[in-house]
Amino acid sequence: MKVEEIDVDNEVGEVSEILSQNEKTKGILIHVLQQIQEDMGYLPDEVLRKLSKKLNIPLSEIYSVASFYKMFHFKPRGKKVVRVCLGTACYVRGSKKVLNMLENEFGIKSGDTTEDLTMTLETVGCVGCCGLAPVATINDNVVGEIIGNKKLEKLIDDIRE
Amino acid sequence: MEEVVKINIDGKEVEVPAGINLIDAAEIAGIHIPNLCYMKGMKGVGACRLCLVEVEGLKAPVIACNTKVRDNMIVKTKTERVQEVRKFVIDLLLSMHPLDCMTCTKSGICNLQKYAYEFELKESSFTRKKFGYPVDAANPFIKRDPDYCILCGRCVRVCKEQGTNVLDFMGRGIESKVVTANDRPLQESECTFCGSCVDACPVNALLEADRWRKGREWEYEKYNSVCMLCGCACEIKVSVREGDIQKINSGAKDGSVEKYLCAYGRFGFDSLRAESRLSTPLKRVNGELKETTWEDAINIVSTKLKEAGKNTCIISSASITNEDAITLKRFATEVLKTQNIGSTISLYSDPKVFKNSGKADINSSDLIIVIGLNLSQWDRVLPAIDAAVRKRVNRGAKLIVINEAETGLSTVASINLRGNEIESIKAIITALKQSGAEIDKQTEEYLSDVREITEEITKSAGMILNAKSPLILVSPELFNAASNLALIKGDIIAVYPESNARGVALMGIETESKSYAEMTDSKYSLLYIAGNVPLQNRPDTDFLIVQNSYMNDIAKNADIVLPVAEYLETSGTIIDYAGRIKHLNRAIDSHGKSKSHREIFREIAKKMGTTLKMPVESEIKKAADVKAKISAMPFEKTKNLHFEPDKFIETLNLTVINNSRLIWLKEAFEVKAEK
Repeated sequence: MKVEEIDVDNEVGEVSEILSQNEKTKGILIHVLQQIQEDMGYLPDEVLRKLSKKLNIPLSEIYSVASFYKMFHFKPRGKKVVRVCLGTACYVRGSKKVLNMLENEFGIKSGDTTEDLTMTLETVGCVGCCGLAPVATINDNVVGEIIGNKKLEKLIDDIRE
Repeated sequence: MEEVVKINIDGKEVEVPAGINLIDAAEIAGIHIPNLCYMKGMKGVGACRLCLVEVEGLKAPVIACNTKVRDNMIVKTKTERVQEVRKFVIDLLLSMHPLDCMTCTKSGICNLQKYAYEFELKESSFTRKKFGYPVDAANPFIKRDPDYCILCGRCVRVCKEQGTNVLDFMGRGIESKVVTANDRPLQESECTFCGSCVDACPVNALLEADRWRKGREWEYEKYNSVCMLCGCACEIKVSVREGDIQKINSGAKDGSVEKYLCAYGRFGFDSLRAESRLSTPLKRVNGELKETTWEDAINIVSTKLKEAGKNTCIISSASITNEDAITLKRFATEVLKTQNIGSTISLYSDPKVFKNSGKADINSSDLIIVIGLNLSQWDRVLPAIDAAVRKRVNRGAKLIVINEAETGLSTVASINLRGNEIESIKAIITALKQSGAEIDKQTEEYLSDVREITEEITKSAGMILNAKSPLILVSPELFNAASNLALIKGDIIAVYPESNARGVALMGIETESKSYAEMTDSKYSLLYIAGNVPLQNRPDTDFLIVQNSYMNDIAKNADIVLPVAEYLETSGTIIDYAGRIKHLNRAIDSHGKSKSHREIFREIAKKMGTTLKMPVESEIKKAADVKAKISAMPFEKTKNLHFEPDKFIETLNLTVINNSRLIWLKEAFEVKAEK
């Protein structure tokens, strides 16, 4: 969705009649942010600036709202989003090693994205399959039991693919 | 009559206005409820949890900042239970706050320090958390050090309320941080560097950038005075140490929407010690300006004035005090016996406007109507009035903006009436008449050919009818037309670019024969310019006397230059746009050998054989006490009063801007504009 095309009345839906213009634009903010992120992969600064003018919500407030939620990103994301689980079960089975190895291999820190946008490296609390520990996810696919060099190399190949 | 309720706080029976919160109520009873995030005049948000009090009949303690008084309420502010909670809150805050009070600039007025002392907390009982956030010190005005921040949100709220919206929270939980949008340095945001956040910060997170080792609060002598750099005439509090100004804060009382000071008023004082400051009289010898003594200078001036006789002309700025203006008036009538005296006022207003402009408090108006004014904190057009209007709107007042084009205030207005202002005023009055309001007969005669009454006009008229105390803020050129509206309801106040225009006009300096433009254009054998006027080239005159604080373009072209003390170096009074007399207190000694305007006039007069009476407060009060008489006026713009307020204010303050850190701001804005 292009910022210019936002139709506040339409987006707010049925309740639009009882809301003031101010409430309408405030109420629509998160929906619009989600849409922008879906379309562009992240929330680019210039788009947020336009959004601020369009909705008459201060830019600082938009950043404040967006930064409250982990799901919003302000930097471009890699093609592959890799999340290494640092939950208890994974941790004791050496997931920290997996993380360090990935950091070294790609030359980035957890939370960053490689310059060529191949991947974004993140950590996660628990993926919910502790039996497979240590676990990482590539986009939505789970890679389990990453123990030993072979498995690690496979993981890297999968990311580079 | 205001409704009152009876409450009992810590055993004290007090009567307080209904609807106020417990912190304000306790203050009336003389009891301080500890708090870190509360700001008088603004809604309590309960961020710090320090103001918890116990109310009889309620199980849990409540936050005083957001609890309204009820009749017969029994409040206890110092029970063991709440004290324990407060101590816990401070303990938690201390766990992530640097414990360097011994070198901290805010030591002495830091609220966290104060409460830590009260609760006997030397250090936190929790594990120390250190963030190591980068400091934003890339500008010469405001230093942001998030490591000291206690996340009370006071800066965020003042910034929002006044409409600048630069600061906000980012992130959440322990990682929240007060930042600009996307955590950019201040100069890359929309920041105007007014420093309201600095005044609001209870700790050392926001501070004037140059305060390091410039003394702490208890080392300063404090002077209440008035900023004279523009028509807002903001109250200021000047902190002085060892004869030099260390900082200036807003001096308006807490809770007032006028508690604001722009970057000019707060940081422009650097210029007082600038190289271009005049310290001795100068006279032209063989084409060059050379230093001379006061005695010599006054000798020359009095001789020249005698020679020129009736062919003398005096132009004064309207940024001088009432006392200076009265003395100047006496000097002109008693000594020079000339009528050729005028001021910069005629560039933007008819002096009669000031006799009829009302007195009102913007704090108590529930409807503000802004007519023909492009107020802006960003373009520095009467920034304090812009901020005050925005704050009033945030506190519940309605706003109608009547302006030819879109203005900055449009975004917060309830109603925007674009297009010709006169037509809009006429339409509103017609709509008021249709709703049964009583219209002056004379007004009705002037009221002809009204265009169609739109829905917005009807709504505006409805707002005016429903308002308790509407306030009209108007540019001088539209004052007459808008008077017709004020005649029906509300107060009307003209706002203008110079700080004491109203005072100077009321003290009797007004164009009696010629306007400023006529005076500067026609030829006199002697021209005497007192104060800062927007002239760059020497007008056609045989002899030019310039009485100014700085060596500016016009002073460079003068035959005699007399150094004047700046407003921070003089005492006196002014009358602000709302008709209030405000007092200036001399904060520092005059620079070099400079003297006040009135001292110079009196000395010249004495040399010429007349002793001028010293102005006294009673005569100023008398002159200021004019009964505003609003009457029906034709619906037209007063001619020849149009000016560009942003350029005008910048020209007047050019010397201050160019000789202080404000030059950085100007350059930064120019770079931004290019982009």
